Amino acid sequence: MTGLLDAILVMLILTSFLLLGSSRLGACIRIGALQGIMVGLIPVAASGADITARILAIGAAIIGLKGFVFPRLLTWALRDSDTSSELKPFVGYTASLLAGIASLVASFWLASKLDLAAGASSQLVVPVAFSMMMTGLFLIVARRLAVNQVIGYLVIENGIYVFGLAVARDVPVLVELGVLMDVFVAVFVMGIAIYRINREFDHIDSDQLTTLRG
Amino acid sequence: MSSSGIVIALLILAPALLVGAAFLASSSRAVIRLCAWGTAAVAAVAAYALWMVFTTGPLFAAGTWLMLDALSAYHLGVMMLVFLLSGFYSVSYFRREIEENIFPRKMARRYGGLWFGSLTAMITVLVSNNLGVMWVGIEATTLLTAFLICIHVTPGSLEAMWKYLLMCSVGVAVAFTGTLLIAASTAAGSQLTHALLWTHLLQGAAGLNPFLIKAGFIFLVIGYGTKVGLAPMHSWLPDAHSQAPAPVSAIFSGFLLNTALYCILRCLPLVEAATGNTGWGREILVVFGLLSILVAAIFIVAQHDIKRLLAYHSVEHLGIIAVGVGIGGIGVWAALFHVFNHSVCKALSFFCAGTLGQVCGTHDMRRMTGILRSSPVWGGGLIGSLLALIGTAPFALFMSEFLILKAALDGKAYATAVLFLTGLAIVFVGALRHVIPVAWGPETSPRVYGRASATETALVCVPLVALLVLGLWLPAILIDVLNRAAGLLGGGL
Repeated sequence: MTGLLDAILVMLILTSFLLLGSSRLGACIRIGALQGIMVGLIPVAASGADITARILAIGAAIIGLKGFVFPRLLTWALRDSDTSSELKPFVGYTASLLAGIASLVASFWLASKLDLAAGASSQLVVPVAFSMMMTGLFLIVARRLAVNQVIGYLVIENGIYVFGLAVARDVPVLVELGVLMDVFVAVFVMGIAIYRINREFDHIDSDQLTTLRG
Repeated sequence: MSSSGIVIALLILAPALLVGAAFLASSSRAVIRLCAWGTAAVAAVAAYALWMVFTTGPLFAAGTWLMLDALSAYHLGVMMLVFLLSGFYSVSYFRREIEENIFPRKMARRYGGLWFGSLTAMITVLVSNNLGVMWVGIEATTLLTAFLICIHVTPGSLEAMWKYLLMCSVGVAVAFTGTLLIAASTAAGSQLTHALLWTHLLQGAAGLNPFLIKAGFIFLVIGYGTKVGLAPMHSWLPDAHSQAPAPVSAIFSGFLLNTALYCILRCLPLVEAATGNTGWGREILVVFGLLSILVAAIFIVAQHDIKRLLAYHSVEHLGIIAVGVGIGGIGVWAALFHVFNHSVCKALSFFCAGTLGQVCGTHDMRRMTGILRSSPVWGGGLIGSLLALIGTAPFALFMSEFLILKAALDGKAYATAVLFLTGLAIVFVGALRHVIPVAWGPETSPRVYGRASATETALVCVPLVALLVLGLWLPAILIDVLNRAAGLLGGGL
């Protein structure tokens, strides 16, 4: 099943790049959802023939949360806001894409040095995971809007999940569910925070949250 | 289920049930009283658990997923003390807000629910033997405490909350990568479901892949370090501490930071054993600790907001604890003693700063001068605790810092000792410059402080006297408890 797995991993990279290049918030949320669905398919694709009910359940939970619940939540948080796109990001879209490519190259180099994925079913898993973590971090730093920062956080989280599949495939199911619940609550809390910031400041530009200094 | 299983289950379930109770309370006053007495009830269970650990040895529950050993029991004791003090202080703090009608029932219920929710999450972190569950607990504390910061919605508190939420979530996500790397460091043949159990990892620590565990530890220190407030990942901390209501600041500073540091300390013995006890992991702690002390020192000199000043003191003191553990030997013992001293002292100072801030309507130290005359109890508590925090003899904090310095000199770590002393000296002078006018300067304006009640006086005096007494005389039982906890980290008297 390496073919399917590789296809999904490539899709993950492409969605990360799309996020780096998109300015409209609605599009970013939808791309994030697509990436979430892809991540949910990975455990199913990686296990191939010996698929178990547990893997299916985890996959379904991830797809449900990341693909459908989170986008709803973020859209809900934005319901009273007039902001529909990121106008002046700290780093422009072309530069962001170049940074994304650089991070991908760096990830492949790093993964070849580390030799982590002894048990992973595809050679692409570790580099893709690293690249997603870096892309997520980059989105958080380079974007002004709080929503985009949440999406960046989700990309990091997706990256870590993929990484976990490569290095420790057998994370106990209770821990896995706990992690998933935490991510859910995190996005929920961030959604409420965005809604409140929007109401209080009339904007969701986290760059303007600068009264507290020193 | 064995008796140890029942005790640990009760420790987690009791505060979880109190979350529900908080949402049923009939008035703001009832919620706050519930916070105080409910915490006291949980503290009683914790005291019994502590007694069991120190008389019969580690407790296990839920297979071996939950564990309370000397190190976690000691941390649990300190945490319950901080929560208990803060619980009773909130009665006094929110009484004023309830009188001014700015703390309605809905807000109070949310406060009570989040209060016990954070308590549950922190207890889960401490009793967990599974590094994954520990991580889940830490992330949960971040999410639950975020709304405690902005219980009063203001632009400042929202800003602080957003920074806290984002920085700590990302930081803690990095820590999860570290946890995965540690799980991956177990030999390929071993049973992977046990790969996250601390006791299991420690047993086979010599056989762990040193390269992966080193990488994992770096991720853990950076990740959890964000939440500890180690420099340079500390930038969320002064905002959150200064914007939260005082009882919450006390918990943040008094124990939330320690919970994250505890997770790093847990993994230290694994790293040390896997790298052949060369002190590789300890050196990392020393570097981050020293950096935190020095960075905090610089900000303390230039700080005028009392709560931000206290927040930077947290960065400094958590740095001191990291340095102490990093030095090893007697330093570990002193660092754990410092955990207690700092938590109690910091809780007290936030109580006093909170009440004085309520009365003065500001946290700017230039506008709250001469407080010793206008409010002997709260002012005296603030000045006393600040003097203790900057390391004035003979408070217990001086003793623990002195022992850490001694450990550094004994270990011939002269560069560490010099940097450590430099940082403490800058803090001492810098903070004293702020403290003197606040204590003895001309009163800025005559204010009505109201008389402190007997409970409030006790709340201020008991911790202060305790810190003074512990600086001069240590009960044998505390020495023994600290020794056993330090033993797990490869140190001791």
